[in-house]
Amino acid sequence: MNRPVSRFSIIASIVRKDLAEYGRDRLWAFLTIMVLVVVIVLFWLLPDNVNESIRVGVSGLDDSSVLTALESAEEEGLLLVPFATAADLEAVVAGDVAALEPDQAGTTVGIAFPDDFLAATTRGDATTVTVYVDAAVPDEIQLAITGLVSELAFAVAGDELPVSTPGPDEVFVVLGEDRVGSQASARDSFRPLLVFLVLLMEMFIMASLIAKEIQERTVTALLITPASVGDVLAAKGIVGALSGMAQAIVVLVAINALTSQPLLILTLMLFGAVMVSGTAMLAGSTGKDFMGTLFSGMLFMIPLMIPAFAALFPGTASAWIRAIPSYPLVQGLINVSTFGEGWAETLPELGVLFVWCVGLFALGWMVLKRKVQTL
Amino acid sequence: MSDAAIRVEDVSYSYGDIEAVKGISFEVAPGEILGFLGPNGAGKSTTIKILTGQLTPKSGKAQVLGADVTTDDPAMQAQIGVCFEEKNLYESMSAQENLRFFASLFGLKDVDTAGLLARVGLADRAKDRVAKYSKGMRQRLMMARTLVNTPRVLFLDEPTDGLDPVSSQAIRKLIKQEAERGAAVLLTTHDMFEADELSDRVAFLNEGALYALDTPESLKLAHGKRSVKVRFRDSDGINERTISLENASAGEELKEAVGAAGLMTIHTEEASLENIFIEMTGRGLEG
Repeated sequence: MNRPVSRFSIIASIVRKDLAEYGRDRLWAFLTIMVLVVVIVLFWLLPDNVNESIRVGVSGLDDSSVLTALESAEEEGLLLVPFATAADLEAVVAGDVAALEPDQAGTTVGIAFPDDFLAATTRGDATTVTVYVDAAVPDEIQLAITGLVSELAFAVAGDELPVSTPGPDEVFVVLGEDRVGSQASARDSFRPLLVFLVLLMEMFIMASLIAKEIQERTVTALLITPASVGDVLAAKGIVGALSGMAQAIVVLVAINALTSQPLLILTLMLFGAVMVSGTAMLAGSTGKDFMGTLFSGMLFMIPLMIPAFAALFPGTASAWIRAIPSYPLVQGLINVSTFGEGWAETLPELGVLFVWCVGLFALGWMVLKRKVQTL
Repeated sequence: MSDAAIRVEDVSYSYGDIEAVKGISFEVAPGEILGFLGPNGAGKSTTIKILTGQLTPKSGKAQVLGADVTTDDPAMQAQIGVCFEEKNLYESMSAQENLRFFASLFGLKDVDTAGLLARVGLADRAKDRVAKYSKGMRQRLMMARTLVNTPRVLFLDEPTDGLDPVSSQAIRKLIKQEAERGAAVLLTTHDMFEADELSDRVAFLNEGALYALDTPESLKLAHGKRSVKVRFRDSDGINERTISLENASAGEELKEAVGAAGLMTIHTEEASLENIFIEMTGRGLEG
């Protein structure tokens, strides 16, 4: 009689077999390497600086004292660019010409002061200042420019602003997360998307391996040995999490994302890898052939990608995006890798991600188990 | 049969409304080959699936080596070997790797894979990927995989289906060797010659029901015609004459035929298993 074999030994055997099969599949091996290379190269090609200044063209001011008065505006993110004439300014803002001087490129707002602006303002006479604004400039910027012109007029005239009596204290309320002064660069914004792409690629490969095992009925051969359905599923989960984690670590190291809070990032990635393994079980058990697996994989992949794309745009994500299982993973990665947050601040994302991870893995396990048992 | 390796008592199974197995009962002793004869859809593969724990019977009791097949008993699973009808091998792996992997699932680390592959005539292709194998080679590898744990009970589902005569003969030889070693063998087939050649007993299965269970000889004696066909040449050309052995005058008639001039051949008219099957079930084995 053969001696009993341990569960650990059976699972380890299946894991070794799955990894060998994975490595020998030329298509998936090629895609894995290609995605890793593309993701890493793309990351380093993205700009890593943030330009928050608005280029404001100014014409009609020869007096350097007025320009000096305007310099205070630069502290508020306005970059002043002198223009020789109002016509030049209008042409550049309108986009009729790219730029007359190199530093005039990208000017989307212009203030054309009349020649007698200084004298008229000093006398207290009415005068007209023309503000050119590109149609794409938001309303709040237009208002800010109008305010700037009034402020400048008062400064030139030597008067205080009309509101001279002490007013109520201003309370500045930022709704949502205040990222003023710490905006993410394109490279930072893309980081979660790129890491997530690797996990999704992993999901496709896992789903394909599972579907192949079902379609070729090799799983039936496994189940008449001492291996149980649980052993087979545990092995699949381990292979998925291991390969997902391994690839994610390669990418994280290559894109310099493990420099701060590496343990926290790896924990997030582990939960993410387990979550996509569960999703792969779902996709793998529904696909009837390669194309079917690809299709069902896409069905799961597209919704999971949304939070990663949403992270590219500033602002708080909509409620429905936050309800997508991959959202806490993406948000957690942004918070930790871009804004340097720690365990305490990331705990809510970790908690929600853990729940999704357990839920999706359990669901994938149940669906695949049912599928295998009905073969 | 108290020491039966396989014991099935009134087992039934349905796929939805379709009754695939209808209350069948039989036993297989160690060292015995039981041939399950029946056309496609007769319930042969379903019976094997029940006995190997892939399906749970709707009613009845099935035991393998004394263990209830519904309990998922790893000790029992460690002592059975199953050769599936479909060639479910890992194609990206070599024959040797396939055998080693399955041996590892049984906790066997030093299995003589080379010896096993030599037994099925694949020793020189041991390191080739299964994807490069022909259908016959895959089937032979399936047999080798079935034997990797030296099982006490073998379930062989159409092991020679679609194979060339040489491959079929090699597999039949292997089955006989395993039975001689003491393994109980449940062999499903719709090849009457294979069943006749290999089986100690045969079971006729049709539409899920067991029609007969006996030795091939007993079935032939019970259902076949006892007659002799004599062929001879005379002035009219080649003629045939059938002599019934049931008649009292059979001895005299045979004597006369043997002594007659122009005798060409004498054939016994023993019934084939297929004829008996058709007689009992009203349908052929190839259906």
